[in-house]
Amino acid sequence: MSPNQPLPQKENAVFKKILRCYENKQYKNGLKLAKQILSNPKYAEHGETLAMKGLLLNCLRRKDEAYEHVKRGLKSDVKSHVCWHVFGLLQRSDRKYDEAIRAYRNALKCDSDHIQILRDLSLLQIQMRDLEGYKETRHKLFTLRPTQKASWIGLAMSYHLLDDHEMAVKLIDEFLKIQNKTSYDYEQSELLLYELQIIFESGNYVEVLQRMDHNAGLIYDKLSLMEMRAEVYLRLEKFDLAEKLYNELITRNPENKAFYYGMMKARCLDKDEDKVAMLEEFSKKFPRAQIPRRLPLNMSSGETFRSLVDDYMRRAITKGVPPLFVDLKPLYADPQNVKIIEELIEMYLQNLVISSTFESAGGDGAELQPVTSVVWTLYLACQHFDHIGDTKRALELVERAIEHTPTLIELYLAKAKFYKHAGNMIGAVQCLDEAQALDTADRYINSKCAKYMLKAKLLDEAEAMCAKFTRENVSAMENLNEMQCMWFQTECANAYSKLNRYGDALKKCHEVDRHFVEIIEDQFDFHTYCMRKTTLRSYIGLLRLEDVVRGHPFYFKAARIAIKTYLRLHDHPLNDKKAEQDQLESTLSKSELKKLRSKQKKAQEKVRQDEKENKDKKVANDDEKLEDTLNPEKLERPENPLEEAIRFLKPLQELSPKNIETHLLAYEIYMRTGKPLLMLQCLKRAHRLQPDHPQLHVCLAHFVSKVANQDLTGPVGAVVEKQLSSLLSGKQKSAKDLNSDFLQQHRDSYAHAVAAATVLYELDKTKQSEALKLLNFEADPLIKHGVTRERCEEVMELLESGAFGAIGDAEYLKAFKNSCARRFPLAEVFQATGVISAPRPASADATADRQISQDV
Amino acid sequence: MASIRCATTEDLMNMQHCNLLCLPENYQMKYYFYHGLSWPQLSYVAEDERGDIVGYVLAKMEEENERDDAEPHGHITSLAVKRSHRRCGLAKKLMDQSSRAMVECFNARYVSLHVRRSNRAALNLYQNTLGFATCGIEAKYYADGEDAFAMQRDLGKFASELNLTPANPETFNQVRTGGKKKENLAHDQTV
Repeated sequence: MSPNQPLPQKENAVFKKILRCYENKQYKNGLKLAKQILSNPKYAEHGETLAMKGLLLNCLRRKDEAYEHVKRGLKSDVKSHVCWHVFGLLQRSDRKYDEAIRAYRNALKCDSDHIQILRDLSLLQIQMRDLEGYKETRHKLFTLRPTQKASWIGLAMSYHLLDDHEMAVKLIDEFLKIQNKTSYDYEQSELLLYELQIIFESGNYVEVLQRMDHNAGLIYDKLSLMEMRAEVYLRLEKFDLAEKLYNELITRNPENKAFYYGMMKARCLDKDEDKVAMLEEFSKKFPRAQIPRRLPLNMSSGETFRSLVDDYMRRAITKGVPPLFVDLKPLYADPQNVKIIEELIEMYLQNLVISSTFESAGGDGAELQPVTSVVWTLYLACQHFDHIGDTKRALELVERAIEHTPTLIELYLAKAKFYKHAGNMIGAVQCLDEAQALDTADRYINSKCAKYMLKAKLLDEAEAMCAKFTRENVSAMENLNEMQCMWFQTECANAYSKLNRYGDALKKCHEVDRHFVEIIEDQFDFHTYCMRKTTLRSYIGLLRLEDVVRGHPFYFKAARIAIKTYLRLHDHPLNDKKAEQDQLESTLSKSELKKLRSKQKKAQEKVRQDEKENKDKKVANDDEKLEDTLNPEKLERPENPLEEAIRFLKPLQELSPKNIETHLLAYEIYMRTGKPLLMLQCLKRAHRLQPDHPQLHVCLAHFVSKVANQDLTGPVGAVVEKQLSSLLSGKQKSAKDLNSDFLQQHRDSYAHAVAAATVLYELDKTKQSEALKLLNFEADPLIKHGVTRERCEEVMELLESGAFGAIGDAEYLKAFKNSCARRFPLAEVFQATGVISAPRPASADATADRQISQDV
Repeated sequence: MASIRCATTEDLMNMQHCNLLCLPENYQMKYYFYHGLSWPQLSYVAEDERGDIVGYVLAKMEEENERDDAEPHGHITSLAVKRSHRRCGLAKKLMDQSSRAMVECFNARYVSLHVRRSNRAALNLYQNTLGFATCGIEAKYYADGEDAFAMQRDLGKFASELNLTPANPETFNQVRTGGKKKENLAHDQTV
């Protein structure tokens, strides 16, 4: 009870009831009780009652009223820890952690020993990684409650997180001394392992060993114990002991790659041939294990490789192992390997047809193969030829395979992939649709099919496909969002952005971002939970993971789309809705207009329907989190698109600095905000990763021509001059020279030629024809590599968007398209008329939609 | 071929991804965290040459006194292998490693799971390859109204075959089979 505003006995009893109501989640009852006190004019402004009322209102999602009451309470009784604590709880529920911490601190000024406030504060501090503050709070809790387990463990952990290993270990040791020993104690086992981990991290391996010997009987996680011990032996160079342990580990699980690498270190093997011999030894010992058969392929070449891979492939084919090609693919990095694999495949193909054997008569492999070997060989072969770019052969082979075994679904998946690689998404979708119909119970094929549909920009079809596996009564979109299905949302974003539906694309990107917010939020409950469970090794793992969670590729993909979309919206802001509409309609024919109108009407109806449903749901479920909804129309009209882009960029810079794209995207943003030093920083970082990256060249030339030659005076100018000179390896170069040097150095690469052409035209608009000549890969005998379908698509987009100026000679575009079509005959985008060669997809309606969107 | 190892906290997000691709029963990340942070030894992943997760088993303990039977036992929350990596025996390898940890770390005497009545491929795997036995039917267990078979695998035999040391050998060896214990008791009472 507040000493500042004491309540008489009767009211005080009611107040205590309010607290109980809050704890028992009887919010409405609590409100009634609060009213009892507050309706008495004498206590109408009773601070703590007002605060509690606010807290109850907050739990009932009446946010505005809640804040109003709590603030009124604070005003009336600013010295009350209850009022401040409640204020902090409100802020916390709004995820305003810094503000909440401040409120808790104020509460503690009123009552410095309040256990609950200290606990709440410690949770926020660890959540926000205020490690020093966390340690202080844990200290305080420790002195106040020295007999509790959580006090000891929390304090030890706070020291560990600050790298004070010694203190952490001391605390755990002391704690373990006061523990009662029982026969089986999992928590103690975990605590001992956590302690070992701390000592291991401190580098004191000798002590790790001593303690392991001492405590081995108390630790039940044998695997972790053995793994750590083996690692320690390696670090202490006790190789014979390490070898013994790796033997045990491999026996325990002969399919763990890491154990074999450990064994190689234990035996001090450097030469590949010794490693291969070692693996063969284990392969004999564990004939069913796959890893010791597969690993030698990574470390052999030439004839050894040939004989190993021959044996490996034959076994897999005879047995019918579907992932054989995927498994071999990493070996394709070496062209020598590719040649060997191809020769072997050709040999199998030939002999299996003639004599049902891998080799011609007389050889070792002359034994008769089961009929299935033919189809598995064809399956391997078609993927091989697709991978090396021979689409025609790949399709031929896969057709043969399908003819042989029309029920093998993997074949349709492969065929779809070939179409995708060839740039024919419609054909790809068709194959997968067929595959999916053959096994409707398999979500994997269903997911693949939906993914391909999205790549073909068939959004409605994709959602309908996914809906076969999502919960009924909820839209698939909604269910997939709830389940944090990021691959789907990212593919949607991509499809929307290709359709110029910027708001929808951004909505999906923000949804992905919100999953990450939620995943970070998920930590909260585990701060207390793990201390109770004593699973501290995993808990530390969680903290470390959460610190870098946006480094996950899922975040990168979504952020990239968001950034590019915001850049587009910065360069070409959207008009208001009405003007947009008129513009769109003026370009459409009557029938198209009619279709569009009916589509819009449907969309409006859907919005209305959704709103109604949402409303119903809100009424039904008061407790559900009220997220502010993402509105595509608002999203695509941002006040400051570059600021929004930077929000997505920051985590990439912090957590994905090794990806050159991070810095190239950053350059695009800072170029538009006009920040020379930040631009320079991007160039430097990108240059460190890959100095000859084509896009980096475009950025560098831009910087040299547009920024560095401006009058940059003062310290900025000096820094730019110095740094730029080191980027250009000390030479003073004009952008023009830079470009011609770059072109000369990479004359055989189409990617570099395209970059050089872009710069050439940027620098001098009169050089259009020269630039266009560089793009013409067919007529340029010097270009030896880099003419990929994706790149040609990019170039065509550039040409069409006017990046090379108005192309007076429309013949050029047509000719370019024709060259591409000759090189990539299956690709949809290079078809002369825009008519897609593969048959129409299942829904004709969606095709019409797509065409409308494309025309826009 | 895929490498089999115990799942770490970092793997959990990629396990969720694999789950969303392969299975109709999905869970939010927090549920994966819950497994990884409560029973870090029990979940396993299969990782291909590129480091992608191509299969996983997400497992937990049904702790004592939670249900009417007091026996500690493991439970398979979710098991998936990407279609592209089937027929390599990954599911069995994942399950065996997980079961082993259940015995060693938690004294589990059996492991239980649910499977869709219509999922014949999975039923076949559990019954014939992994030695699970059906011990009941849970009507309308799945969100779409389908029934589940409740299955169990006795880990006593598994443990003695592999010569494992259970967490608490004394209690582990008292009664060998979890699922049958209740039946025996019932039988004893009627006698």
